[in-house]
Amino acid sequence: MTSTAGLGPGPRRGAGPPTRNAGRWRTRVVLGVPAALALLLLVVPLVALLLQADWARIPSDLATPTVLPALRLSLTTTSITAVLCLLLGTPLAWFLARSDHPATSWARALLTVPLVLPPVVGGVALLMTWGRNGLIGQHLAPFGIQIPFTTVAVVLAETFVAMPYYVLAVEASMRGLDPRLESVARTLGAGDLRYLRTVAVPLVLPGIASGLALAWARALGEFGATITFAGNFPGRTQTLPLLVYVELERDPQVAISISIMLLAVSVLVLGVLRGRWLR
Amino acid sequence: MIDTTPRTGGLDARIRLTRGAVQVDVALTAEPGQVVGVLGPNGGGKTSAVLALAGVLRLDDGHVRVAGEVWADGRRHLVPEQRGVGLMLADSLLFPHLRALDNVAYGPRSRGVDRRTARERAGVELERVGLGDRVAAKPLELSSGQQARVALARALATDPTLLLLDEPLAALDPDTRARTRTDLATRLAAYTGVTVLVTHDPLDALTLADHLVFVEDGRVTQTGTPSDVLREPRSAYAGTVVGLNLYAAQGDSHGHVLTADGGLIVTTSPTEGAVWATVAPSAVSLHEHEPEGSPRNTWRLRIASVTMQGQSARVGLTGDLPLTAEVTLESVAALGLHVGREVWAAVKATEVHTYPR
Repeated sequence: MTSTAGLGPGPRRGAGPPTRNAGRWRTRVVLGVPAALALLLLVVPLVALLLQADWARIPSDLATPTVLPALRLSLTTTSITAVLCLLLGTPLAWFLARSDHPATSWARALLTVPLVLPPVVGGVALLMTWGRNGLIGQHLAPFGIQIPFTTVAVVLAETFVAMPYYVLAVEASMRGLDPRLESVARTLGAGDLRYLRTVAVPLVLPGIASGLALAWARALGEFGATITFAGNFPGRTQTLPLLVYVELERDPQVAISISIMLLAVSVLVLGVLRGRWLR
Repeated sequence: MIDTTPRTGGLDARIRLTRGAVQVDVALTAEPGQVVGVLGPNGGGKTSAVLALAGVLRLDDGHVRVAGEVWADGRRHLVPEQRGVGLMLADSLLFPHLRALDNVAYGPRSRGVDRRTARERAGVELERVGLGDRVAAKPLELSSGQQARVALARALATDPTLLLLDEPLAALDPDTRARTRTDLATRLAAYTGVTVLVTHDPLDALTLADHLVFVEDGRVTQTGTPSDVLREPRSAYAGTVVGLNLYAAQGDSHGHVLTADGGLIVTTSPTEGAVWATVAPSAVSLHEHEPEGSPRNTWRLRIASVTMQGQSARVGLTGDLPLTAEVTLESVAALGLHVGREVWAAVKATEVHTYPR
C-alpha cells in the first residue's frame, strides 16, 4: 500500500541500542495509529463510493433526462463564475497585492469570511441582498428584475463562494513578483495598466490558472448557498450537486453515477494543479 | 536612429527624504556625458537617492532638474514614466517571459513607438553591447554577464537624459565583472546623457566615474575626481575605498601629528590645525627589532590579521595606532608574521601626507 508510505517502519539507519529501538517503536505507535486513522477517514468514503458504483450503468445514468440539463447548467454557471473571477477578481488581487495600507488587511480579512462561512448562511446573506426586500433587490424590483430563484442567482451564489479562492491564489502569486520589476517597467515608460498587461499578468499566469481551477472546482460543488438562494428548479437552478441530493431519494444509483463523475472531475482538476502549476 | 546630438544642461539635484532610519540629504550635479560615481556603505542612502532620481520615491524637499526640465521640486513630482530615465539594477531584472529583443524594445513600445521601429532600435542597442546574435534568447538562456548587457541596452533604448546604474556589476562573478566593466565603459563613453553609478566597488568607481560622491549615513562626506579622492580621502570609508591608512588628527608647524586616538606621527610635510593624515600601506615596513636611522616613525604593534593579496600580504596592526601594512610574502615568512605577534612598524616621515580637514 503506497498510501501509508512514511508511516510504517522506514529503512533502518543502523541498529541502535535496544532501548532506543523500543522508543522508536513507541513513537511509531503513538503517532502512526492516529495518522493511519486520519488517512482512513478520508480515503474509505471515496473507496466506498467507487465500490458501490454500478460501472456498467454509469453511461445510461448520465443520459437520464434530468442529468443533461443539470450538467449543462453546472457547466454554464461555473464557466460564467470563472470568467467573473478572472475579470473582477484579478484587479482586486492586484490592489490587495500592491497596497500596504491597513485597510488592505481588513479587505483581505473580509475576503476570507466566505471561505469559512457555512454556505447556507451565505445563501441567506445573498437573499438579504438580492431578495425582493433586500438591500439591492428592493431597488431592482420596481424594474421587474427578480434575481432569487433564477440562473443568475446560481451564478451569484457560486461567485460568492468561489471568488475568495481565486483572489487569494492570485494575490499570493502577485506578491511574489519582484517590485523592482515594476520600477524598471515604469522608468521604461509603462504605466500601471501596461505593466499589468505586459508583465504582471504574464508572470502570474500559473497563479491565475491555479486560482481559476480552485474557484471553478469550488463553484462546481456549490450546494448550500445555491439551494437557499436559487432554489432547486430543474433546468433553471438545479445544478449537479442539487440533482445528486434529489436523486439520492429517488434513484440512489443515479446519484452515485453523478457523484463518480464529479469525483473524476475533481481529481482531474487536482491533477492539473499538481502537475502543471503547484510545485 | 541613435541620438547623438549633445544635450543641453546636465543633472542638478538636491535629494531630501526619509527612508527608514536614514535621513537622506544629498546634492548631485553633473554635466552631460559625465559619469558620477556614488559610493558609500550599505544602508547609507545611495539607493534611496537613485530611486528618488527615478521618481519611484518622492522627495520630502529639494529638487531634481535634468537637461533643463524640472522633474521634481516643492510642487511638482513627475512619475517615472514621465521622466527620461534609464534604470539598471544589480540583478538585471529582465522581463523573464520576453526575449532579449523584446526586453530592449519594451521601452520604446511603452513610449508609443510602433512595433517594427521599436524592434529595429532594440536590435541596434543589442548590437552596441555585443549581443547582436542573441536577440531571440530568453533571459534564462543568457549568461549573467549577457543579462547585464541586455539590461544596459534596455535602459538606453529610450534615449534617457539620465542613466541610473545601481550596483550594475555587483551580482556578477569576478571574471564576468571585469569583462562587463569594460563593455560598460565602452558603451558609456558613447552616451551623451548624465550617468549616476552607485557602487561600493572601488574599481567600478575609479575606472568608470569622472566624479565621485561619497554618501554616508544620508550625507555627502566627500566629492571630487577619482584622483582627488585617491590622493586625499576625507572619511574613514573613503580611506578604505582607496586603500590608505587615514587618520583624523591635529597637526602643528613642527611636523607633529596627533591622531584622535592619541597616536603620534611625525611628518616632513606639516599642516597646522585639524588635518587628515595618510600613510600608504606599502610605505609601512615591519621589523623584528626597533629600527634606527633616518627620521622615521616607529611603533610596537600587535598583529590582528594577515590576508593575502596576490604576491603581497596585508597585515592589520593594532596598538598605539591602528595601521595596515602591505609587505611581501617573503617578509611574512622571514619575520614569521602571525596573528597575535608583536612587531615594530616603521614609516618614514617623508611618507606621511597631511592636508587640512
